[in-house]
Amino acid sequence: MSEDLQRKIQSELDSFKNTQKELQKAISSRQQLDGQLNENMIVKDELDILPKDAKVYKSVGPVLIKTELIEAKQNVSKRMEYINKELKRCDDLITSMEKKQDTHRESLQKLQHQFQQAQVKAALHA
Amino acid sequence: MAQISATEQPNMKQVDLTTLNIQQLSTLKQQLDQELSLFQESLTSLKMAQTKFQNSGEALEKITTNSEGKEILVPLTGSMYVPGKLYDTNNVLIDIGTRYYAEKDMDAAKDYFKRKIQFVTEQMEKIQFLGLEKSKIRDAIVEIIEMKLQQQS
Repeated sequence: MSEDLQRKIQSELDSFKNTQKELQKAISSRQQLDGQLNENMIVKDELDILPKDAKVYKSVGPVLIKTELIEAKQNVSKRMEYINKELKRCDDLITSMEKKQDTHRESLQKLQHQFQQAQVKAALHA
Repeated sequence: MAQISATEQPNMKQVDLTTLNIQQLSTLKQQLDQELSLFQESLTSLKMAQTKFQNSGEALEKITTNSEGKEILVPLTGSMYVPGKLYDTNNVLIDIGTRYYAEKDMDAAKDYFKRKIQFVTEQMEKIQFLGLEKSKIRDAIVEIIEMKLQQQS
C-alpha cells in the first residue's frame, strides 16, 4: 500500500516539476518577446519622426543596404504584429501551464496527506 | 502575469498578508526576490546603455564642419586600423535598433542621443521606484513569516 502511494507521489512530483520547467520556459520566452516588441516600438517611433526623404539603411550581415523609409516602416509594423500574435500565444500557454501546475500541486498535497495518514496508521498497528 | 504592488490599482485584489499561510508567503517572497534581481539586472543594462549613448553623444561633439577632410584612423577590426579622411561631416549614420540605421544631420543626431539618454534615465528612475516598493513588501513578508514561525514553535 505505502509503496504504491510512494510511487504515485513520485510520478506526480515528476510531472509537477516538468510543468514547472515548461512554465519557466514559457515565461522567459514571453520576456524575450516583450523585449523585442519594445525594441521595435522604439524603432517605429524613431522612423516616424524622420523626415520623408531621410536615408535609411538596413544592416544585413556585414553590409548596410539602403531601404526606403516606407518599406522600413512597413517592415517594422509587420514585425510588431507578428510579435503581438506570438505574445498572445505565449500568454495563453502561461495561463494553461499555471492551471496545470496548480492541479498538480493540489493532488500532490492530497497524496502527501494520505501518505502521512498511512504512516500514522502503520505506527499505531506496530 | 500576476503583479505585486503596495498601492491599490484596478484589477488587483487586496490581500491581507497575515491571512496567508507560510507556504503562500514564501512563494510570494520567492516571486518578489526574483523580480528584485531582475530589476537589478535591468538597472545594470540600462546603466550600460546610458553610458553608450553618452559616449556617442560626446563623440558627436568632437566632429564639426571644420573636421571635413581631416585624417582619421578607421578601425577595420579590433586590432587593425587604416587611415581615412572625414567626409560629409554634417551627416552621420545612427543605429536606431533592430538592424536599422538612419542618416541624420548633426543637430538631429545630437537631439537623438539627448532623447535616448533622457528615456533611459526615466526608465531607470521608474525601476528604482518599483524596486523600492517591492523590497518594502518583501521586508513585510519576511517579518510576517518570522512572526508565524514564532507562533508555531
